[in-house]
Amino acid sequence: MEPRPVTSASPRVGLFVTCLVDAMRPSIGFATLQLLEEAGCQVEVPTAQTCCGQPAFNSGDTKAAARLARRMIEAFEPFDYVVAPSGSCAGMIKAHFPEALASDEPWRKRAEALGAKTHEVLSFLVDVIGYIPKGRSFAATGTYHDSCSGLRELGIHAQPRALLREVVGLEMRKLEGNDVCCGFGGTFCVKYPAISNAVVEEKAASIEKTGAEILLGGDLGCLMNMAGKLSRRGSRVRAFHAIEVLAGLGQGPAIGEEG
Amino acid sequence: MSAREAILSAVHAALGGREVDPCRVTEEARELLGDPAAIRPQLMAHDLVEAFVARATSAKLIGTSVDRIAQVSEFPGAVGRYLTAQGLPAELVLQPSPELQALDWSNFEVRSEMAPDERVGVGVARWAVAETGSLVFHSGEDTPILFNFLPLHHIVLVRASTVLAYLEDYSNAFATTGERQPRNVNIITGASGTTDIEGILVRGAHGPRNLHIVIAK
Amino acid sequence: MHRTLEPFKTRTATALVDATLKIAIERTTATAERKRAAALSDFPEFDAARDRGRRIKDHVIANLDHYLIEFERNAKAAGTHVHWAATADDAARIVIELCRAAQAKRVTRVKSMLGEEIGLPHALAEAGIERVETDLAEHIVQLGGDTPSHIIWPSMHRTREQVSEMFRKAHKTPHEEETIEAMVESARRELRDKFLSADVAISGANFLVADTGATCTVTNEGNAELTTTPPRVHIVTAGIEKLVPSTAHAFAMLRLLVRSATGGDITQYTTFHCGPKSPGDRDGPEEFHIVLVDNGRSRMLKEGLKDMLRCIRCGACMNHCVVYRQLGGHAYGGVYPGPLGAVLTPVFEGLEKARDLPHACTLNGRCQEVCPVDIPLPTLLRGWRDRSWREGLEPVSMRAGLGLWAFVAGHPQLYRLASAVAVRVMRLFARGGWIRSMPLASAWTAHRDLPTPSRKTFMELYKEGQRSQGR
Repeated sequence: MEPRPVTSASPRVGLFVTCLVDAMRPSIGFATLQLLEEAGCQVEVPTAQTCCGQPAFNSGDTKAAARLARRMIEAFEPFDYVVAPSGSCAGMIKAHFPEALASDEPWRKRAEALGAKTHEVLSFLVDVIGYIPKGRSFAATGTYHDSCSGLRELGIHAQPRALLREVVGLEMRKLEGNDVCCGFGGTFCVKYPAISNAVVEEKAASIEKTGAEILLGGDLGCLMNMAGKLSRRGSRVRAFHAIEVLAGLGQGPAIGEEG
Repeated sequence: MSAREAILSAVHAALGGREVDPCRVTEEARELLGDPAAIRPQLMAHDLVEAFVARATSAKLIGTSVDRIAQVSEFPGAVGRYLTAQGLPAELVLQPSPELQALDWSNFEVRSEMAPDERVGVGVARWAVAETGSLVFHSGEDTPILFNFLPLHHIVLVRASTVLAYLEDYSNAFATTGERQPRNVNIITGASGTTDIEGILVRGAHGPRNLHIVIAK
Repeated sequence: MHRTLEPFKTRTATALVDATLKIAIERTTATAERKRAAALSDFPEFDAARDRGRRIKDHVIANLDHYLIEFERNAKAAGTHVHWAATADDAARIVIELCRAAQAKRVTRVKSMLGEEIGLPHALAEAGIERVETDLAEHIVQLGGDTPSHIIWPSMHRTREQVSEMFRKAHKTPHEEETIEAMVESARRELRDKFLSADVAISGANFLVADTGATCTVTNEGNAELTTTPPRVHIVTAGIEKLVPSTAHAFAMLRLLVRSATGGDITQYTTFHCGPKSPGDRDGPEEFHIVLVDNGRSRMLKEGLKDMLRCIRCGACMNHCVVYRQLGGHAYGGVYPGPLGAVLTPVFEGLEKARDLPHACTLNGRCQEVCPVDIPLPTLLRGWRDRSWREGLEPVSMRAGLGLWAFVAGHPQLYRLASAVAVRVMRLFARGGWIRSMPLASAWTAHRDLPTPSRKTFMELYKEGQRSQGR
């Protein structure tokens, strides 16, 4: 599939990079930008974006989450689509903004409208814009972890696999328990570190058991959690966000490697 | 205010204090039983008896064996076959059902009182359900409840005409009898078992260890 | 509960280092998961059945007062004594009064989580009435002097060696061989006499059938029927949410319950009890009592926990919960463990005491996915978090930290500055690509490395005109 030209008729996509990508691994944001433009989208990055508010929402501070949701809605509603390289952040917008704004009818409606055009990037490429890049290569054995929000809130499962299947040289091995939570859970991993650690230890062991060289996934939080544990265990497994491999960044530094 | 009043008024208030229309409620409940085929598994065969036997002899039921006879009069013979195969003496306790008592038990020592550690109990099921391989007993004059649970070996006669397809077919069949609900309805599916110790299955936890079903055409 | 508990963090720390417990949890939950999956693959109609089950329960809940009255009327018409208990203590008191009226010295019990919820073991002990648990797992729990750790396999935390030792100490004619079969036979012998000589039997109910006034109990051992038939008095305690309109509706729910709990299509014994012994019956109790227990259920109806009343207590949620699978049941500290316990315990014990439970969850949603009646457990748990925040129960440091972060996130320019500063500060602690320790991050770095952020944030780089190759 050839990259498509971007014209004034191309869909206008607001890229929501997410707070974790912004601070911890910008290359995911740039890979997303690249793939969206290849797919023929006009991409803008509204500077009013900060965070989707999930940490507040999941901590029970619904008011703060609602405030942040309103800002996000204002920043992104002018676009045809909103795309984020994270199932959990896209899920927050789609599934939970209306919840956070349940008692504020006009805003709840705007949240639902925004949610309807918000997508996680891998599923956006496959399901919405119909762009599956061909001819990328990345010679490695890989395994895929399905992050919970993306999987259960957004139904993301087949799409990353459809995209990665086209990567030349990439041999994917099934991760036993690919749909089992890695123990990140946002603030959970710092509020209940001992439990989180027990969960991610098992996940790391499953990843190592595949014998794969590369861990791939769609959510940086989960990837950082698993990669951080693998590193602490002295494992040689290297982790990337799937979008980075699709953008040809697999040759670059993995998570936790210097650039 | 009594606890009853307190609870009912709390529930009523929580539900918005609305006026209940009992006919509408009954109608909704009935509708929720509609299109049963959509929510039930397929039977293992078209013929109900075959489906029942397939289920009863499958791995889904533990400790269960099935024998088939042409007529009810052959039941004592089937019981004798089972006892011989199990290396058990020809002794049993018979469920006080006139239908069973009328059969020829002359080859057996038959008792009517069941001991707590009774070895063999012989009974007759009121219905059978092909979906699950279950036997249905209703407590009554000819059906002491404990007869189904005390013996180690429980041998049960089932008439082919009493085999129903699904569990709901039993509740419908019972509704048409016009009888009042008995003290106990026991729907028995296989022999007793437990996996409470390290997940290991052991049969005969408290109830029978063996269930032998004899189906008469 | 009548015991004083250690803090949640202590309980979890104890559970997490218990290697024997971990083996037991893994065995129990992995088997249950496998069996459930096998049962569902044999039942393509499961999704439709699940949707129907959800609607049946929603219908009952929406008409709960109507069904309670109908149930009571039909139960009484069958000769049942119907009692109502607003609280757990009331329920226990009613049961004890009935036992005293029956001059009961010995009471046999069939496993019932509601019985645990109302504190029956404690109440019977206080009243000086001998309690004989007849369910093998509850018998083991009783001998071990602790509490159930799973709602379907209450003694899953016990090893065969522990059980063997308990049986040798307590049984009249204990097992000779060290086999599980021999142990089960020992229990069978031990409990048989007790079934037949008890004065009162107390059991629970999986369903209350409104149009017949009958209770429905599902078991695998046969103890339920052996226990509830010989005594003169049989008492059932049941939560008011257990209602279903008719026997046929009970069957529809049963198809979901057993597959979700143990992977079977039906339990060995599905029993409906209606009224005491009928005239002409050969056996059965002279008196049959049902105690309908509210204990917070009407409050759940009012306070946004209505969906939780659909629960049919199958245990699938805990079998698939990553947190339960690390902790087991006791660390939850309540009657019910796992996701269902995390939703219910704050109802019974108050949010202040139980606030850790809804928080110690990753909100991954697997529980809801396997729930046979589609209870939105993550939503309900987040609801408790919302309430905890509003009631000021969250730790001050948490409120302060989140408050600061939310303030900054609400001001994009400030946020840009703060994130740019943060990544530069973090990089000071980097050892190559990883940060192994850093102030304020010990909860993370105690167990894992933290990837070093890049020199600049995405938004900085983007503003500088960068369009690709993030580093």
